[in-house]
Amino acid sequence: MSSTHAPAHRERTTTIPAIVVRVLFLGAVLAVAAFTVPLMIELKQWMWLTVMVLATVAIFVLYSTKRFVPGKYLFPGTFFLVVFLITPIILTIGYSFTNFGDGTRGTKEQAVDSIVANSVQQTEDSTWYNLAVATQGDPVEGPFTLFLVDPETGTVYRGDETAPVQEISADEVTVTSGFVTEAEGYTILDAREVNAAYDALQAFAVPISDTSAVRVQGANQAFEGTTMLSYDDATDTLTDSLTGDEFTVGKVGDTEYFVDADGKRAFSQSWLQSVGASNYERLFTDAGIAKQFGAAFVWTLVFALGSVLLTFVVGFALALVLNDERMRGRRLYRSVLLMPYAVPGFISLLVWSNFYNRDFGLINETLGLNLDWMGDPTLAKAAVLLTNLWMGFPYMFIVSTGALQAIPNDVTEAARMDGASRLQTTLKVVTPLLMVAVAPLLVASFAFNFNNFNAIQLLTEGGPFLPGEYTRGGTDILISMIYRIAFGGSGADFGFASAVSVALFALTGVLAAIQFRFTNVLEDVN
Amino acid sequence: MQIRRQSFLALSGVAAGTALLAACGGGDETGGGGASDAGGASDAGGAEEGAAPARADADLVIWTDEEKAVSLEEPAAAWGEANGLTVAVQIVADDLQGNFVTANQAGNGPDMILAAHDWIGNLVQNGSISPVQLPGNATEDIAPIGIEAVTYDGQTYGVPYAVETLVLFANKALTDAPEPKTVEEMVEAATAGGADNVLALPVGEQGDAYHMEAFYTSAGGYLFGKDSEGNLDPSDVGVGQEGSITAGEKLKELGESGVLSTSITGDNAISLFTDGKAAYLVSGPWALEDIRTAEIDYAMSAVPGFEGLDPAVPFAGVNAFYVAAGGKNPAFAQQFATAVASSPDIVEQMFPKNELPPVSLELQKKLAEDFPEIVKIAELAADGDPMPAIPEMAAIWQPLGQAQANIVGGADPESTMVSAGEEITGQISG
Amino acid sequence: MSTSTTPRIPTAPLAPVAIPRRMSPRRWMAEIGWRHLVGLAAMAFAVFPILFVVSASLNPLGTVSSSGLLPKAFSLVHYEALISGSRGPFLQWYLNTLIVCGVVAVTQVFLSTLAAYVFSRFRFAGRRIGLLSLLLVMMFPAILAMIAVYTMISDLGQVIPVLGLNSLPGYIVVLLGGSLGQVWLIKGFFDTVPKELDEAAIIDGCSHWQVFTKILLPTLTPILATTVLLALVGVLSEFLLGSIFLTADDKKTLAVGLYGLLQGDRSNNLGVFAAGSVMIMIPVIILYQFLQRYIVGGSTAGAVKG
Repeated sequence: MSSTHAPAHRERTTTIPAIVVRVLFLGAVLAVAAFTVPLMIELKQWMWLTVMVLATVAIFVLYSTKRFVPGKYLFPGTFFLVVFLITPIILTIGYSFTNFGDGTRGTKEQAVDSIVANSVQQTEDSTWYNLAVATQGDPVEGPFTLFLVDPETGTVYRGDETAPVQEISADEVTVTSGFVTEAEGYTILDAREVNAAYDALQAFAVPISDTSAVRVQGANQAFEGTTMLSYDDATDTLTDSLTGDEFTVGKVGDTEYFVDADGKRAFSQSWLQSVGASNYERLFTDAGIAKQFGAAFVWTLVFALGSVLLTFVVGFALALVLNDERMRGRRLYRSVLLMPYAVPGFISLLVWSNFYNRDFGLINETLGLNLDWMGDPTLAKAAVLLTNLWMGFPYMFIVSTGALQAIPNDVTEAARMDGASRLQTTLKVVTPLLMVAVAPLLVASFAFNFNNFNAIQLLTEGGPFLPGEYTRGGTDILISMIYRIAFGGSGADFGFASAVSVALFALTGVLAAIQFRFTNVLEDVN
Repeated sequence: MQIRRQSFLALSGVAAGTALLAACGGGDETGGGGASDAGGASDAGGAEEGAAPARADADLVIWTDEEKAVSLEEPAAAWGEANGLTVAVQIVADDLQGNFVTANQAGNGPDMILAAHDWIGNLVQNGSISPVQLPGNATEDIAPIGIEAVTYDGQTYGVPYAVETLVLFANKALTDAPEPKTVEEMVEAATAGGADNVLALPVGEQGDAYHMEAFYTSAGGYLFGKDSEGNLDPSDVGVGQEGSITAGEKLKELGESGVLSTSITGDNAISLFTDGKAAYLVSGPWALEDIRTAEIDYAMSAVPGFEGLDPAVPFAGVNAFYVAAGGKNPAFAQQFATAVASSPDIVEQMFPKNELPPVSLELQKKLAEDFPEIVKIAELAADGDPMPAIPEMAAIWQPLGQAQANIVGGADPESTMVSAGEEITGQISG
Repeated sequence: MSTSTTPRIPTAPLAPVAIPRRMSPRRWMAEIGWRHLVGLAAMAFAVFPILFVVSASLNPLGTVSSSGLLPKAFSLVHYEALISGSRGPFLQWYLNTLIVCGVVAVTQVFLSTLAAYVFSRFRFAGRRIGLLSLLLVMMFPAILAMIAVYTMISDLGQVIPVLGLNSLPGYIVVLLGGSLGQVWLIKGFFDTVPKELDEAAIIDGCSHWQVFTKILLPTLTPILATTVLLALVGVLSEFLLGSIFLTADDKKTLAVGLYGLLQGDRSNNLGVFAAGSVMIMIPVIILYQFLQRYIVGGSTAGAVKG
């Protein structure tokens, strides 16, 4: 185990245990693939099938030979990254060209089914029957026959789709506590079987008169009702059987609906459709968004940069101050300073949002102030930054502490030997070394805060909003503003939200690229 | 150093740790990389065995929020047992409506949900719920407002069981007018009584159009007009119209006199009242328990309107059972819905754990003696207006609430209300 | 960058290497005392919201406005309510959280370390672009892609039920999407370790795997411990994905379960919620205590001097 005497003599040959491990591992991968691929094909899950096949191929290519050393190390993490971060991004890009949102989530078939199913009307004074579903055939496929008992009179009826409901003699069946439990020549379905066949039974209507039919509700009840609408596949129209009105497919906005003769939307159900680039058009032409985008963008940058700098400066300074080995109680300090980070973010934000209350908040009360923290845009911005500082400085503190500890003692000792003071050592030797380690982290932290939706949403909800201003509040960063636009007004609009995400993503990318140009953090340090 | 490192790995406690150490001695290139990956995979494997028994696929899965779930659990289980079925009541922590629609679409949703009636419009446009027919004898026992609330486009979509509305609570120690008939009377009495705050009505920085609805309607404000058939007409938005501006002017006065304040929020309104700091509170049945715990000597009445203006009409919210359109067990869900509709037994069993005013008239009678306040709220709700269930309502909440909050904070009533109306109309048509 | 040009200031007195046992009070103040002052001030800032949470958790009323910094009343009702399970299977949530956080944090750090090693020590085509895109992907506004992730997992659950919805492994693998989240941090630290170290080892005949496990990992113990902690806390407060993925009561994590309580009634559940938060905090603090042994005092000495 000791690393100090590494076996220098060992040749880089492939040992037998290594071969066994490799074969077992690759075999296991193959087994998983062999098990899942047919299932995925059967369920038509092409996305997962692609993932599975590509992953298997990648594993075989990477781990069956001695080549591709970096790939061997990168693959495990990259696999998860690609599957759970990049694939959703690709799907999101796809959504951005559709009208995906409330009312348009499903297929046209589902929308038609829903419209037709919702048009079933109970006839006035309908009798409610105790129902037993029976079959002379298969309990899943049918054909089904309904045995009905009128709970008031105890009369027993029978009917199916071809034979209208008719009274039968109670002798033909066995009735137990109001339900038909046995009928000669029929198998009575139990509740689970009814449930399994329910899709078919819901569309099942046993005629009782010219206008109404017996319909199944639940596993053991039936009522008289009529389906008002019917759908004709060939003409793609819905017809109201009572009024004779016809509804055809027409466009309202960028989305197709069933419309009445005047072209007015008749049903709110629609379906997922491709809308080309219209989400992007809306994004770039919507006056409200265009007007507010600039201001929101500036504040987003200030917020993200401010949060990173504040948390880092405070966290780093504290780490330095408390890193003196002569200090007693350092553990205590460190443990306490960690605490803000250990509280789940959403409770911190809830607690802080109450602190800022003008009349009842802890801050004004304790400090004897009367500041309208949440009502004044500037103060609200300060409040957001202060809260984010509180939530984020422990992170920087811990990282800096860890980094300080990782700086070899010899380096600082050498500096001190050379006659540098403590402060000088800190500023000229320790800080630059530490910056090498944490600079990339600051970039990542900036990126995180750029989209730090929760910090805004749970604290201020983007507010305060000036009178007459509804698009952007005083503390709205881009993502929180966009989120409100996409999900606030007319229900969830994922298509539009996706378009915005993609645009925001592109913008972030450009920003990051510029940032890299300036700071050169990607340059090698060694 | 060596010891530290080992126990660090021990802490990690994963197969990866051992695989890593083993590979270390092996000194082979590919074996190492392979083993590490195997280690990573077995992490997930280890957790599988421990934590995931067969998915609890009950015969009937119901989603709802925490409070309703607590009350429903036992009655639902009892019903399930009587019918030979297993029932699972699950709490969805965040955004029940959105998550239900998404899950239902993916075929992984529940069989039923329990939620407020104003979701119906959105659930219908997403094809997420199926109609539920109410047996004839049920409609006689259910208060008309319950039926009205779950009827959407001429179809019934849920089985209503409880109704909520906002009422005015008065702290008798702080006011001589326990049941004020007008806002003016209320303000006067509370000022005379010397309370820190006249009224605890949540406004917040973002506004709260739900709690403000009584005052808004009393001054003549409305949300949507009605078409010839009595359905709400989303092309006729009342925000920005004359009545809403009158309401704005009233709110501004109340804001200036400190009766309404943006610093009173949903987080502190009830506790201001229970702490004896506010003479009046506008809240719903959910506040009762706290008021009782705080031992406040209180009275309860309808939220008053402004003197000489229309009566105040608060929102009524009806809680109902809905049958999911994409559930795995629609038959059992319908069966349970019918059972709830046919007899008040299940709702009665739910009552002790979540005291909501029932819509069942029979149950109201039963509870009248022991829970007079609850029944009174149910009666007051009958005078309320069911929250609009049309999807366009989503466009109302934020701008209207925002405008009201701004006006309470001192903004100009007319221009602010008009701008809110324009925003709403823009969102609905866009 | 000129990182290690050591300044020479001859006039500065040579600081004593060994600390004298007794310092004059003035000297003590100048050298150490002020550090305590700063530390105390920082502690006050860090701790006052937490005091509020703790006192709210002990306040039997459990409302926002009746809670202050110092507990006005002392009652354990909220803790009892949680532990007795009357507000949901709290202990089960606790266990689930430990499983999820532990597995995700350790795997995440391990996979990140593997990748960071390669990014720091190898030169290969696509390295720069890989690092850059890694950062970019992390910047994607993930909340807007949640529906896509949900649909994916819902599909996967049909093939491999254990990786589907309402299952901890399913939730875990989704969270592992952030497996490379710590690469930047760890790579930064790999870069501070002199390359000569592993070059020497390679010349000695070590393989890259041996260099990684025997030379670099021990050197980086402090930062790995730190990273595990950070990753763990990151997972701890995740509730957006969790609240749609984990609906069955016995599958929830603490964050999801507690958020459900809070959503039920914001103004009155603060007490229970605060009690839950305190109980989340405690293990994190204990873990930090434990990890401090590695974070503080760990140095490269072992590896460098060998």
